[in-house]
Amino acid sequence: MMTLAPVADTDARFRSLFENTPELILYQNEASIILDANPAFLTLVGKPKEQVVNHPYDEFLPADVRGLFREKLAEAFTGKIVRFEVYAAQGNSAPRHWDVVKVPVREDNRVVGVHMVARDITEKNQHEQEIFAQNKDLQQFTYIVSHNLRAPLANALGMVDLLALEQADTPKFEQAQAYLKTSLHQLDQVLLDINTILAIRDKVGLANSEAVPLAEVVEQVRQSLQDVLHDCGGTLRTTIPTGFQVRGNRAYLYSIVFNLLSNAIKYRDAHRPLLVELTATEGAGQSQEIVVADSGLGIDLAHAGADVFKLYQRFHPQHPGRGVGLYLTKTHVESMGGHIAVSSEVGKGTQFTITLP
Amino acid sequence: MHTLLIDDDPITTFLTERLLHHEGLSDTAASFQSPTEALAFLLRQIPAGLVPQVILLDLNMPVVSGWDFLDLLRLHEVQLQDQCFVYLLTSSMAPSDRVRAAAYPLVAGVLLKPLDQHKIQQIRDHVLPAA
Repeated sequence: MMTLAPVADTDARFRSLFENTPELILYQNEASIILDANPAFLTLVGKPKEQVVNHPYDEFLPADVRGLFREKLAEAFTGKIVRFEVYAAQGNSAPRHWDVVKVPVREDNRVVGVHMVARDITEKNQHEQEIFAQNKDLQQFTYIVSHNLRAPLANALGMVDLLALEQADTPKFEQAQAYLKTSLHQLDQVLLDINTILAIRDKVGLANSEAVPLAEVVEQVRQSLQDVLHDCGGTLRTTIPTGFQVRGNRAYLYSIVFNLLSNAIKYRDAHRPLLVELTATEGAGQSQEIVVADSGLGIDLAHAGADVFKLYQRFHPQHPGRGVGLYLTKTHVESMGGHIAVSSEVGKGTQFTITLP
Repeated sequence: MHTLLIDDDPITTFLTERLLHHEGLSDTAASFQSPTEALAFLLRQIPAGLVPQVILLDLNMPVVSGWDFLDLLRLHEVQLQDQCFVYLLTSSMAPSDRVRAAAYPLVAGVLLKPLDQHKIQQIRDHVLPAA
């Protein structure tokens, strides 16, 4: 029988773990004095060992969580393994989410000290929150889609029933037939919408991004909307710094600008000449801002508020529209990692602000 | 049957009007695609003693939804109680809809679209028990 020689003795193995793990490890006594701290902790708080060891842990914790840490330490000193999550800074570091475990060390049936291991779960938490938000989003999406599939379907079913009641070749019969056809087309349109939306969502985060010159895209949109813009006597004024480029997908950017501009034209105020101002600025840090402001009808946000970007929501029933444009715009912006916000005043106009990373 | 129909969708309106016609109930039916206009109409009818016996109300309408309409109607609930029965029409039922509807004393039922002869007969039997 052959026995393998140990790679290192137990002490050396645990020492290596203590020295090299990215988790913070502290050894504390009952008075919460730090008796030992690993390099991960020293690096995070940015202090040499002699300024940490023999200091109370309180010195490295913000006031609002000191009580919690003391309470958990006391619990561990009763002999229990204690685990909790906390959002806190350590020393001068930025606040992070920590998964903290306190493990008692026993000698002769007595707890003589407590090891604390803290793992940074900030990113994991962020991902969980993103998934949570995305799930909620999808749930809402399915609900909206099912409602909007059922609406034309119910009409079609109603028309089929009605056709059995109406006398053939009368105007009402023909009207019911025409409505049946319309309903089926509407049903088909909803399915096409879903397809478009899913295709965009599918590409979220894909690396098909390029540096797109904004001025060029805006010019293309202006040309394709030139006639309608001219017919309504509207003006598009753009302020785009030379060389302003957006990192993203050219087709999406075109769709965003096109949607916002065509909305501005569609929902203009007949009593005032339409002015649309598109302004691009390099924002704080790396971010960019594109603002599209119009002098149109405006949206009553106190009433519509959270629904503006939702699928199949409409705010100007006297104008034709399916309630898809702003949902698609938002989806496009988000697929480029940005976000879009709206402010509006009825009778004054509407302003959309797009922030891109 | 004195009926007020509020739905922004012309196809639904057409269906309801024709079904009422085939049931012989279309003598006094008024249809509105705008809830605001329907409310103005209703407020003119109340003092004239011409309260509709049935209001068929679509839930999913832009700007002023069926729920908004019910809220606007709150002030006039007393005048309408026991004379006017509101039926909510929706193309897809959220479980919360029935619970929410229960908070409005005027609401007699929530119906899944499409309306058909059977549903209209049920409404008639409830509203015109003597007939």
